[in-house]
Amino acid sequence: MPCARSFPALSLTARLLAAASIACASPAFAEGVDILSPKTLSVTGTVSLAATDGEESWLDNGFGKLATSGDGDGFRVKPLLNEANLIWQPRFSWALSGTVVGAFQGGERNEAGISEAYLSYKPMRRSTTRFSARAGLMWPPVSLEHEGADWHVRDTITPSAINSWIGEEVRPLALEGTAGTNIGAHKLSVTAAVFAANDTSGTLLAFRGWALHNRRTLAFNAQPLPPFEPDDEGYQAHFTHPLLDVGSGFADRPGYYAKLVWQPPIPVRVELFRYDNRADPEVVNEDLEWGWRTHFNNIGIAADIEGTQFRAQAMTGRTRMGYEETPSGRHWIDMRFRSAFLLVTRPFGKVGLAARIEAFETRHRGSWWDDEYDEDGWAATIAGKREWGPFTGLVELIHVSSASPAREHVGLESRQKQSRLQADLRLDW
Amino acid sequence: MVGRALIGSLLFLSAFQATAAPLTVRVTDGKGRPVRDAVVTLHPNGSAARPSAVGRFSVSQKDMQFHPFVSVVPVGAKVSFPNLDSSRHHVYSFSPAKKFELKLFARDQSRSVVFDKPGVVALGCNIHDGMTAFIMVTDSRWTAKTGANGIVQFADAPNSPGRVTVWHPYLRAKANIVEQTLSAGNRSATFTVALRSPPMALGDGY
Repeated sequence: MPCARSFPALSLTARLLAAASIACASPAFAEGVDILSPKTLSVTGTVSLAATDGEESWLDNGFGKLATSGDGDGFRVKPLLNEANLIWQPRFSWALSGTVVGAFQGGERNEAGISEAYLSYKPMRRSTTRFSARAGLMWPPVSLEHEGADWHVRDTITPSAINSWIGEEVRPLALEGTAGTNIGAHKLSVTAAVFAANDTSGTLLAFRGWALHNRRTLAFNAQPLPPFEPDDEGYQAHFTHPLLDVGSGFADRPGYYAKLVWQPPIPVRVELFRYDNRADPEVVNEDLEWGWRTHFNNIGIAADIEGTQFRAQAMTGRTRMGYEETPSGRHWIDMRFRSAFLLVTRPFGKVGLAARIEAFETRHRGSWWDDEYDEDGWAATIAGKREWGPFTGLVELIHVSSASPAREHVGLESRQKQSRLQADLRLDW
Repeated sequence: MVGRALIGSLLFLSAFQATAAPLTVRVTDGKGRPVRDAVVTLHPNGSAARPSAVGRFSVSQKDMQFHPFVSVVPVGAKVSFPNLDSSRHHVYSFSPAKKFELKLFARDQSRSVVFDKPGVVALGCNIHDGMTAFIMVTDSRWTAKTGANGIVQFADAPNSPGRVTVWHPYLRAKANIVEQTLSAGNRSATFTVALRSPPMALGDGY
């Protein structure tokens, strides 16, 4: 079982929140302070009914790409208390606020914890140039599919493979600053951040491969890894803590991410994002959790053409873990990964329709795992959405096809196909 | 003397009296579709008829948007900013015509601003980046915005020559404004304008 551990990150966040509380006691901060009132609290939740065929979910010790398990050849129908979030957004001044999200996630595995906890500083702009900053536990601004304090998926039930992975393995403790300005009719913004406690990012992606699900990793919780072959036992824990500093000292090797956004005077937005956790791939802790040197580049494009929105992301990256073997110079695991999706949405009256197509692959060139573990796959998703006051109803049909030789090692066919029809009812109160 | 003054007054008034037909200005896009929220202003030659600042003007915040998107107010107007949302808004403008900021707590709080210079005032919310709106502060008595039919009518417009301008926040022109000259007796004008698509919201999530 994953063990509990001490996290300097948590104490740092707590200290930041405490400092803000003390600061807001001064007269300069008195105006606009609202620490705890009904206006600072909101609740969101989702109940679901899912019919899934095919293999068992990766959450259920299988290789399935979805968060729900199938029933072999037939469909397994299952009602789910999918998630519930309690969101606390205190205001320490008009410019300084906090966001803390406590989450419960149900389905194949029940768990509860904190999904985000950060401070936001956004001083009043005095010109077309603006500045803002965030500090704490938060997702980097990669996803074009998520929105809101609870980081829910806007147009579909299931996020793309890219943003599913962001949700589970790329949520560091970060200090982030953003500056934006207008140059003529063009808007530009630059974001840069340093971060810690994301040394294991890449573990799940390497051992399990890509997946499509809306289960976000909760702080300090572990994610399960697929079953290992007998020869692979003893090198790596059967779980991964995505929020973890491996090695001596907190933020010993801080990572960074940076983002550039360009918005020309037409309804198009282009985003370039770069992430590097700068972890030491040769460091391991007593639980056999390793540092994974992971970096990736992501490009995002959003466009609105006559009311039809197009959103696309493409990501390519690399992760390395374990000792560098001689003479090959390869780390035990050296995996390149890439994925891309195109999401098209359009409102039809009160109903919003969405369609997404995506592809994903991994390429292993490590000394321990080589190309016999390469994975490739694709997925297609269509969804409909309608809002009734605080309720939102969604229906989604998703199909995933993937080939992963790792399945053959436990007696399964490499190529697996899986479909799911799911209905969600969301509450935002 | 009194009689001459009376005649003079009558002549002055007659210049502003409604004539047989109102001045009708139509604004369409390149495909002939009506353009709404275009601000039409008549500038008659030699006339400086200022609008009255009396009236109630407001720009509310509801469902994380300003309402209306485009307002026309006279110079000196006092505009209220009622917050009808359940969350707070930090309304601002750094436009040369009026720089201000208003801290509006959640639901039903309202504060006012006096707009004392003509020009375009772009509004934003420092908390919600997706909120945007515009106030045209005018010193012309004949200023109005188009509705869904793309038409503005001035029933009491003088019959004298002048200029008609059209402004729209997304109009493809310098300072977002185009103009036509109006000859005496001409009671209609049509503008065919090219609009930029509205910018995409950056989103408030990040």
